[in-house]
Amino acid sequence: MTAPVGTESLAAMEQVAFAYPMPDGGRREVLRSVDLTLARGELVALVGTNGSGKTTLLRLLTGLLKPDAGEVRFDGRPLSDWRRLDVARRVAVLPQHLELPVGFRVAELVEMGRAPHARRLFASTEADARAVASALADAGALDLADRPADELSGGERQRLLVAMALAQEPDLLLLDEPTLHLDLAHQVALLAAIRRLRDQRGLTVLAVLHDLNLAAAFAPRVAVLDEGRVVADGSPAEVLSTDLVRRVFGVHVDEARTADGRRHLALREV
Amino acid sequence: MRAAATAPTTAQSIRIGPSLTRATVVLGGGAILLLTAMVVAVAIGSVGVGIGDTVAVLGHRLLGLPLARTEVPGAESIIFDVRLPRVLTAMLVGGGLAVAGTVFQALLRNPMADPYIIGTAAGASLGAIAGLMAPLLLPALAIGVGSSWLGLGLVQLLAFTGGLGTVLLVYAVSRANGRVPVVTLLLTGYAVSSVLAAGVALLMFFSGQHLGAIFGWLMGSLAGAKWIHLAFAAPLLIISATLLVVRWRGLNLLLLGDGPAANLGIDVEREKLVLTILATLATSTVVAISGTIGFVGLVVPHVLRLSIGPDHRLLLPASVLYGATLLALADLGARLAGGIPVGILTALIGAPFFVWLLRRSRMVRPVVTP
Amino acid sequence: MAHRLRLPSTLLFLAALLLAACAPAGSGSPTATTLPSASLAPSAPAHSVYPLTLTDDAGREVTIPAAPSRIVSLAPSNTEIVCALDACDALVGVTDFDAYPEEVANVADVVIGGSVDVEKVVAAQPELILAAGNELIPTAVIDQLTNLGFPVLSLYPNSLDDIYADIELVGAAIDAIGVADGLVASMKARADAVATAVSGAARPRTFYEVGVFEGTIYTAGEDSFIASLISIAGGDPITGDPASTAIQLEDLIAADPELILLGDAAYDPSITAATVAARPGWGEMTAVQDGSIVVVLDDVVITRPGPRIVDGLEALAEAIHPDLFP
Repeated sequence: MTAPVGTESLAAMEQVAFAYPMPDGGRREVLRSVDLTLARGELVALVGTNGSGKTTLLRLLTGLLKPDAGEVRFDGRPLSDWRRLDVARRVAVLPQHLELPVGFRVAELVEMGRAPHARRLFASTEADARAVASALADAGALDLADRPADELSGGERQRLLVAMALAQEPDLLLLDEPTLHLDLAHQVALLAAIRRLRDQRGLTVLAVLHDLNLAAAFAPRVAVLDEGRVVADGSPAEVLSTDLVRRVFGVHVDEARTADGRRHLALREV
Repeated sequence: MRAAATAPTTAQSIRIGPSLTRATVVLGGGAILLLTAMVVAVAIGSVGVGIGDTVAVLGHRLLGLPLARTEVPGAESIIFDVRLPRVLTAMLVGGGLAVAGTVFQALLRNPMADPYIIGTAAGASLGAIAGLMAPLLLPALAIGVGSSWLGLGLVQLLAFTGGLGTVLLVYAVSRANGRVPVVTLLLTGYAVSSVLAAGVALLMFFSGQHLGAIFGWLMGSLAGAKWIHLAFAAPLLIISATLLVVRWRGLNLLLLGDGPAANLGIDVEREKLVLTILATLATSTVVAISGTIGFVGLVVPHVLRLSIGPDHRLLLPASVLYGATLLALADLGARLAGGIPVGILTALIGAPFFVWLLRRSRMVRPVVTP
Repeated sequence: MAHRLRLPSTLLFLAALLLAACAPAGSGSPTATTLPSASLAPSAPAHSVYPLTLTDDAGREVTIPAAPSRIVSLAPSNTEIVCALDACDALVGVTDFDAYPEEVANVADVVIGGSVDVEKVVAAQPELILAAGNELIPTAVIDQLTNLGFPVLSLYPNSLDDIYADIELVGAAIDAIGVADGLVASMKARADAVATAVSGAARPRTFYEVGVFEGTIYTAGEDSFIASLISIAGGDPITGDPASTAIQLEDLIAADPELILLGDAAYDPSITAATVAARPGWGEMTAVQDGSIVVVLDDVVITRPGPRIVDGLEALAEAIHPDLFP
């Protein structure tokens, strides 16, 4: 059963611009003017070309970066007013790369996700233990709990990262290319799990994906980032057209229909 | 998803963090080992003072028990004035270096980091040598090695401020856009250290009769241990070590990288600054009273990590206990080997042991991205 | 330097005692004396009065509570001084390098391999410690021993007069003033004799080789003790850098010694006149061309600032002016 999509926005970006300072003193503009609103319980996929600023956008949403112009709001308040710790209690990120330090077990790394909620100086609370167990279970990683984290396969690593994010008990989950390096089966399994978690825990999810068809199959709403702006934002049917793909990605695709009537973008022969 | 045959599938069976038993064994064992090492180190020295005399002297001085004549002449002075301050200093220095080394290795995400790496050794050495040569450099001031302010000599004061000041300089120089990237910190530390080392070499060239004292200081030695030094160093070391031990969460998270740590609620730049200052405070204090003793701060964290794991919750307090034990015993060895500088002994024994341990366990792996 | 007793007054005082001993029997009370010279004798004490405060060569004021019967010496020169003052039996700690006089071989070593073993010093329970100054014994160690409650006198003589003063200092410290005075007097007499003997002779440019290590030549430093000894012995010393005591080969060639004294030959039999003459670049020196290269086996007494220094002075004089000292 899907949770009702609320109309109140959980996170919003209004005319956000951001440029990275360069070593030579110049600036590299990445986002020009981004408008994006995430309502509670929404499941949104973010697609775009390489270098279009998808990861930067995620960083702005967590407050890791501060916008040069425009405003980022979380739960109605400007993000700049939030304490780091309070943001960490509400927003979790599944990063593209994560250094897994040597010597930790999976369960111990997942427990690091409890850090924003940590109450006691040295010991972990009952609540922490339950949250870790629940996170592992939801991520399908219970069987990995005692394994050394640096011995995991690609798919297992992803489950670990999901568990770490879930341990934070966030309201907003941001995923940065979670399907990179995963085979098809694992891609599907992961996204299905994310959908299920959204339903079970009432999460709001923004996932950066590179596969347009996967995005269309996964999310009811797709936003397309190109040259620092959101150039399209709506249902996959509205957004993912041959026209847009040619404009943004410079690639020709044909629209096809699947057996059960869903639209599908097919590459012309390379 | 494959389910392993022995997988824990219930919430109750999931272990997070070290159990109370494990913590007790590791830390309790460390404390007992430390106490034993302390007693052994005080009881043994180049002059044989028997257990009977040792206990009698300690009982007399610490508990006020009456003391009859000791079997060995001068035993009371040997035990209480010569050995005890030296052993206590060794413990404080060993614990301080080990905990600082642990912190820097995590902070800089570099397994080769030691407490001196971002400039403490170079700055403290320059200060100490200037102090040792004060009669040569500034004869008008008429300050010699014997003069002191509240019992602390010029050497100690200059070494402490030199170490701390250098790190603050390195930190300030490494800052860009409000951030201090770890790699920049490392490289700036190396550069500043090199410049200061050149200054040290220059001073040594003109040092004349002070060269022996300078060399002894650079090797690091506990021979000059004094109660008055302990009075200043002990509170500084205990406070900074305690403040570091409670910051274990931040250190664990910093291992994940600056970004993930920030996403988990750590104010990364502030945490790095606080950790750097505390660890440098401990290191500078240690160097001021014992010179630059090498190897302890590098090896103890690694050996412990290979034995009890990288979780700083246990690693930090363990490094204090086992580092203190190591140096107390190493200093005992140095005393028995004819008064050689203790840094020589720690290197001679520690290095091969470390290699052996590495070959037995998994190697420290480079960062693997998915 | 404290307590420099003047020779003439001491002699007068001794003469007064001698005459008092020869007073006619039955002259009555022991205090009666008909010797006018007795009243001219200054009141220099023949015995030290304790507690005694002395200033050592490092400028420290050291208080000795009572006449020391247990003495630790941290340098061979100090050991020799103590033994020359007839207090060898009082030594309870010496260095492992001490070999003279032979009795000290039985005394416990408290300095091993150049480093002071503080525990052994404490165990020896000394009532006086004689250290070497100028960081030969590190100041930190001297501080440590002082803080442990021992009186530590630091000696660092830089000239013959400094040695005399140090002997007097130790004599005062251990209540052996009379012996010290006699020793100093005889040393001075011998030194004066040497100076007189060479006073008219020409002074050859003399190079004293302390050692050659890895190509660096070490000699008497400028204004150093050895340089002053060579001067007194009738030579004109060629000196090296005052701090490092090194001299560059080109500077040595430019100085052109007329006489080369091989002090290091005492320790290394491979150093002979022949091998030195064969060294590249040395052939230009007058001393080499004239064959005036002398092996000096008494380097120990020349370089050790103790009571045997005058032996060293005489050895130097013999080497520089063999015709005056057959």
